[in-house]
Amino acid sequence: MAATLTNPLRVGLRQERVIPPQCLIIFGASGDLTHRKLIPALFELFLQRRLSSEFAVLGCARRPWTDQVFRQTMAERLQSTVTAHPQAWEQFSQGLFYEPVDLQQSEHLVRLAQRLEQVDRQRATRGERTFYLSVSPAYYGSGARALAGAGLLADRQRSRLVIEKPFGTDYASAQQLNRVVKSCGQENQIFRIDHYLGKETVQNIMVLRFANSIFEPLWNRNHISSVQITAAETVGVEQRASYYEQSGALKDMVQNHLTQMLALTAMEPPGRFEPESIRNEKAKVLQAARLASPEQPWTCCVRGQYGSGGTAEHPLASYRHEPGVAPDSTTETYVAIKLFIDNWRWQGVPFYLRTGKHLAKRLSEVALTFRDAPVRLFDAAAGGVSANQFVIRIQPDEGATFRFEVKAPGSGMRSRPISMDFSYDESFGEPSDEGYVRLLADTMLGDPTLFTRSDEVEAAWRLYTPILEALKQSPDKFPAHPYEAGTWGPAESDELLARDGLLWRRP
Amino acid sequence: MAPQFTLQAPLKLPPHAVTDHLTRLWEHPGEGYNGSATFTLVVWEPAWLEQHLARLGLLQDAVMGMQRPRLVDAARRAIGAYGLPSATAPLSSTLPQVLATQPGDNGSFDDLRGQAIETSISELQPHRMITLAPTIDVEQPLDALVAAYCSLPEDDNSPGGSVCGDVLVFRGGAASIATELDLLPRLIPSQLPCWVLWEGALGEHTDIFERLATAPRRLIVDTALGETEPSLRILAQRIAASQAVSDLNWYRLGGWRESLARAFDAQDRRAALSHVVQVDIDVEGDQLCQGLLLAAWIASRLQWSLHTGRRQRDSSVYRFQRPDGFKVDLRLVSVPVGFPKPHAGSILGLRLLCRPPEGRELCVVLCGEASGCMRLEGGDISSRTLVEEIVPLIDGSLEVQETRVLAGGHDTTNPLLATTAQLAHRMLTAAAASQA
Repeated sequence: MAATLTNPLRVGLRQERVIPPQCLIIFGASGDLTHRKLIPALFELFLQRRLSSEFAVLGCARRPWTDQVFRQTMAERLQSTVTAHPQAWEQFSQGLFYEPVDLQQSEHLVRLAQRLEQVDRQRATRGERTFYLSVSPAYYGSGARALAGAGLLADRQRSRLVIEKPFGTDYASAQQLNRVVKSCGQENQIFRIDHYLGKETVQNIMVLRFANSIFEPLWNRNHISSVQITAAETVGVEQRASYYEQSGALKDMVQNHLTQMLALTAMEPPGRFEPESIRNEKAKVLQAARLASPEQPWTCCVRGQYGSGGTAEHPLASYRHEPGVAPDSTTETYVAIKLFIDNWRWQGVPFYLRTGKHLAKRLSEVALTFRDAPVRLFDAAAGGVSANQFVIRIQPDEGATFRFEVKAPGSGMRSRPISMDFSYDESFGEPSDEGYVRLLADTMLGDPTLFTRSDEVEAAWRLYTPILEALKQSPDKFPAHPYEAGTWGPAESDELLARDGLLWRRP
Repeated sequence: MAPQFTLQAPLKLPPHAVTDHLTRLWEHPGEGYNGSATFTLVVWEPAWLEQHLARLGLLQDAVMGMQRPRLVDAARRAIGAYGLPSATAPLSSTLPQVLATQPGDNGSFDDLRGQAIETSISELQPHRMITLAPTIDVEQPLDALVAAYCSLPEDDNSPGGSVCGDVLVFRGGAASIATELDLLPRLIPSQLPCWVLWEGALGEHTDIFERLATAPRRLIVDTALGETEPSLRILAQRIAASQAVSDLNWYRLGGWRESLARAFDAQDRRAALSHVVQVDIDVEGDQLCQGLLLAAWIASRLQWSLHTGRRQRDSSVYRFQRPDGFKVDLRLVSVPVGFPKPHAGSILGLRLLCRPPEGRELCVVLCGEASGCMRLEGGDISSRTLVEEIVPLIDGSLEVQETRVLAGGHDTTNPLLATTAQLAHRMLTAAAASQA
């Protein structure tokens, strides 16, 4: 896409809420997420003047770093950003602190509490604290317990706990983790982060649906014949093999990101735009969702694993040849699932979810296909008349497209499809923020709208439990079908739709 | 939002006894009560208009120092009753000056300045709020009122009760307040941020202003409350001295800035911003701060350099140069209106004309929600692409804007305001020089 001019009048105009004074405590501060996502997001908030001057980040990890080492390390890892804004970084980095902490050591927590008091005084952060567990998921429960045991979550109004995905590895473990976390703090203190919900276009699903009267009357089984939700990646497993071998595409993408998109697409309108109303509706629709065939999940779910592919110049290794992957791994790198939602709005409408690595194109989208016109009066200019489609593009080229038939030019009365297009880039004079910018800001503002509540998490795991159980009990029925890297997945996935007379979109 | 009153009846003390009293107030070791570690807010709250309206019997309420609808209504009645031009803005500095010359005394009135706290501000749990409340009776000796408060816990487990603050009010003639200003440093904890909210006109009581508004205290002013020249001059001076300054008048421009930016969000219009040839801004009356700030914001965002300024009878004309060397004319026109908005100098409308070298002229007209702008809609528009927008009134009282500033505290001035205010002041100076 051609680069577009930005609108100089847009600068500094966002009527955003300013984050009140506070201290963000990052556990796992020496890890990747901190320098790849969290610190850049915080610095962006700082540049936008959305962080108060009374702000501090306390990095915590086992490494025996000092404040200075932490600042220096972050500066080195964010070199291009720092070079672009040297003065701002200088000012921002004065608010970065570090404390060596092992959450399993009680004396470390005593020291941490003292350090927090000190930072409060030094930076006037008013005792407002957000604890971010950027640690291995195995430590979520014990980490929350340790913080609660040290009294650091006691203040319900001024302390918050952020937990990254994955929240559990199945329904039972998610329930158990929820029990632990809820024993440590109130639900309104817990922020389960799903960075997909930080994307402008994911949030836009709600605005499109509920701010316009033209869509909602059509948004149901009377007018929509099927829905496809896709999150396709062109990259392979990269450096994440040790994690990915345990999770696979289902746990890595479907249970969280795709299911959240499903919930936003299918939920009922909330009575009010406030966190609990929205989360109630999302939880309700997930509770009404089911696999197309829960008794025989292998008939409605296709697993795949990428083989080698690419071109002679850019060959792509197969999954089993990736570093850190077992040579006989059966982990899926591709999943396609057919679901139904048993409620008045969606009864009988199939929802198809797919995600995969090393696919032909990087894209995430929700595509709603409308029912055919009841009577076909016109011939199509080429092939058959195509169904109307409304596509919400999550990434890249964020926006939406509505496809419908018009008269093809000429003396005959033949139709052909055209697209009406909305593009964020072309319509707005400034780029969207990265998802973590929005989500970190909301966390520190205490706004849980875009975070997953415990019942949503559990409903999402319960939805896929038949697949997980079948995988354990009858793995032979659930092979990971090979597909060539750089294609749109295994042929079995196409068959899943072909049985319903449909095709996957090839955008 | 309803104002929240202090929970404790204020204790009247001699000013010199305040410091000891406060020290004793918070010395209860072991009880878990402590002053909130948030910020100190010092408010200069003259409320001249409110006091005179109360004195003359035109306002039956207590004086609270808040710009509430009842005050604006009373001010409009006073404008009629005392024969001022109907174009007089109710909260302009003109009205209290006229009322001050009017005889009459409706007896004593309750003065609750500093004790009625906007809920949104008290929710921020200020460590200390110090209100300086000068009285219209210049001879009145100074009283000090002290009250402590603790936020009420929401339930038994909530820690709210341990977070407390106090409220101080120094009330008396301005001269007696000035005499006791040396007390202030001892009352402002150095380790917490301190804001000075100047709710009077800039340029008034400059001695007190200079002593109160010292860096690193953060300053909140309202350039709509005074005359144009001192308001912009002092704003620009403070910013140049690297003090953190917020101008509530700048916040009122939010709707205009957003609407103008929106007109150029569409990709096919963005390029036209490089080809602006003419800008017209209409403002209510002759207080020009808001108009100059809007004009300077446009000019600075589009990287125009100021060439000349010329003051005419009811307008000022400025000539800028675009980065490509072309000239831009910007005209700021004072328009008398029959029913002005509460603050003086509110924007009525804006017209911006772009003349791209290829393609049709683009004319963007923005009109205020509560006012027409027929003057700006005139001219030959048949050959132009016309974009018209209605600018909604900014929702929110002065106190709401103050809360926004206090809630997201910054120790530096917003760079956009900094650049804009400096240029606005230069524009004013250039126009004044042309008259001389």
